[in-house]
Amino acid sequence: MIQKKICLLGGFAVGKTSLVRRFVTGMFSELYQTTIGVTIEKKALLVGDQDVTLMIWDLYGEDDFQKMRESYLRGSSGYILVADGMRRSTLDTAEALHQLAQSTLGPVPFVLIVNKADQLKEWEIDEATLARLRHKGWLVFTGSAKTGEGVPELFMRLTQTLLEAA
Amino acid sequence: MAPSSSPNSLPQNMLEALLQKLGTAVLARVGTGNTFHLIGDPPPWWATTFKTSPESLIDVGSLAPFLQHFLDESESAWRTDPDRVVRSGPWSHRDLTSILHQFEATALTASHRPLLLIERVDERFDQIQTLLQQARDQRLHHIDQVKTHERTQTSLTGSLAIATQERDDVLALLQHLDLAAIVTNQEGRVTFISPRCLAWIERPSTRVIGQPWEQSLPLESADRKHLRQTWDALTPQRGRRPLRLTSTTPRWIEYEIHADPQSSERRIILLHDRTEVQHLRQQLDHQTQFHDLVGRSPAMLQIYQLVRDVARVDSTVLIEGETGTGKELIARAIHYSSPRKDRPFIAANCAGLTDSLLGSQLFGHKRGAFTGAIDDHHGLFESTDGGTLFLDEIGDIPTSVQTSLLRVLQEKEITRLGETRPRKVNVRILAATHHNLNEDVIRGTFRADLLYRIRVARIHLPPLRDRRDDIPLLVQTLLGQVCATTGKAITDLHPDSLHLLMTYSWPGNVRELKSAVEFAVISARTTCLMPSDFPEELRHTQRDHRPPFSLESHHTEPKTLLLRALQQAQGNRTEAAKILGISRATLYRRLLAHRIDVAE
Repeated sequence: MIQKKICLLGGFAVGKTSLVRRFVTGMFSELYQTTIGVTIEKKALLVGDQDVTLMIWDLYGEDDFQKMRESYLRGSSGYILVADGMRRSTLDTAEALHQLAQSTLGPVPFVLIVNKADQLKEWEIDEATLARLRHKGWLVFTGSAKTGEGVPELFMRLTQTLLEAA
Repeated sequence: MAPSSSPNSLPQNMLEALLQKLGTAVLARVGTGNTFHLIGDPPPWWATTFKTSPESLIDVGSLAPFLQHFLDESESAWRTDPDRVVRSGPWSHRDLTSILHQFEATALTASHRPLLLIERVDERFDQIQTLLQQARDQRLHHIDQVKTHERTQTSLTGSLAIATQERDDVLALLQHLDLAAIVTNQEGRVTFISPRCLAWIERPSTRVIGQPWEQSLPLESADRKHLRQTWDALTPQRGRRPLRLTSTTPRWIEYEIHADPQSSERRIILLHDRTEVQHLRQQLDHQTQFHDLVGRSPAMLQIYQLVRDVARVDSTVLIEGETGTGKELIARAIHYSSPRKDRPFIAANCAGLTDSLLGSQLFGHKRGAFTGAIDDHHGLFESTDGGTLFLDEIGDIPTSVQTSLLRVLQEKEITRLGETRPRKVNVRILAATHHNLNEDVIRGTFRADLLYRIRVARIHLPPLRDRRDDIPLLVQTLLGQVCATTGKAITDLHPDSLHLLMTYSWPGNVRELKSAVEFAVISARTTCLMPSDFPEELRHTQRDHRPPFSLESHHTEPKTLLLRALQQAQGNRTEAAKILGISRATLYRRLLAHRIDVAE
């Protein structure tokens, strides 16, 4: 059994907890409840012929009230950056957290998901921006914790990358 | 935990009880691994959270993944920095019934023993979470508001851009159509003015926008009043006459006032440049009309030029022509085209007056100069001082008066009857006659030297029959005048009527034509003048083209003419006057002058 710690990083209210809940339990709640501190969820996956247990660290959202503790990142094999498609600023936060993670963990695998694809018309983040990130070598997903769109693929793809990198 | 040696120290059992009361589990490290043992009784939540026996050694790393991580983080502090206290920050962990609780761990060293304190912080956590939730909800709400404002701003900017584009299009269209336009609000203040209009009035838009519309156009007071009346009519309409913009480059404009389709209280004023049309119209008028003279026949155009020429000088002018041809109109035209136009113009008829009466009328008299001269009286020469005296029928003045007149022309002075002291006068003389003065001179009835004095310049007016082409224009003009006077609306002239007028010989010339038109207008029953509306003599007079009586007047004795006319009219003086083209009063005067019996 392979066990991997991954972290979800992003600004507040981008849907980190909702993504984890959708992935782990298959459920979604419209009610926004801010996360304080750390919640760790466990999810077993079969990737290829390998059983993998993901220790998913759902970290509190970064903002003026809560700053990310580098120590939470230690031991992570990879991380998921989460941005809210309807708020352009959350992509900036994700990029800043990416810098922090890289400096803490080194060049570990990561993916970016731009959440809330169910409200695509309201998006402030355009395809050109995402193309720019992909051009930098980022794995970029768009998806929705609300509909589940892109969520399993997101975790699966990161896990595959973790295994490949191991 | 080492027992305290200070007398103020808490006893060991009390300390453990206190920690239990605070809900904190205190674990002491055993050795250097992750094995700990609980000190004292664990807090109540311990048993529902972890499957461990309080009495046995506990592998803390296996209790929760987060604690394993925290042990790793705390290791260096325990090992190298006993003064350091490491706090985990809150983390969530499900109890044995899967209820999520919040915990916080602290690593420290006391009495050289690594300790781990684990607290359940649900209550404190809930308070913090509530505050943070409120703060973040507000932040999200604010972001939504900003986004809404940005969307509104974008929408308004888009609308503004569209409106600006539409405005530019309209402006371009107005420019392309060469239209000048003004839009006013309900208060009559200008809210829009097209660039073309600004160019015309030679003012920047900043001086026009917001101003009352009537102040934005440079107009003369009469035009402004006219425009105001049209404006006050409140119904969309076109101006009845062009207005003159008194800017540096004067411009004639026509205008239309419309209600704004979007708002009936707003008005749109469209201005059209009609300067060129107006100039052409003026040129046309100039060619067809000169002062009160009407006609565009070559003979009349030549006369207009002659009038302009003689108006520039101060010479005496003799105006010749049959009665009714407009000799006095020529005299007036000369006066009002001359530098004397602001001084008096006085016309005097010299026919049928006795020596003394005419002399008195012209030169004035002293009280008692003759019977009936009860007071000093100044004559027409003195009244006309600085202006123009028109002496009509000069061929009829008595010889004695001719002498006095010659003196005036030579010496520029007059002497009142009964006085000896001459008085200086500055009068321009214009004279008129239907006589052939050359023959009068030969007959000895007119002084040759006076003739030469008054005939420095001469204008001969052609009879109407010699300029028939002017008849339609004259009829049109006279019709307009008569309709304005009588209030009747005659719009057409039947072709047969025009034919009648064109073929008649008009012995009384334009005066007779005017009488005929007046008669027809009064008689007319419809808006079209029919031949039957005109005087009977026009319809029944034989259409011969022989010169009428008066045409022969240059060659025939006046008395003979009078007698012939009376004979032809079978003694009817009204008819005789018509044949001669003169009024009944003039006929009477001439009959008296020639001592012809006037008894019926």
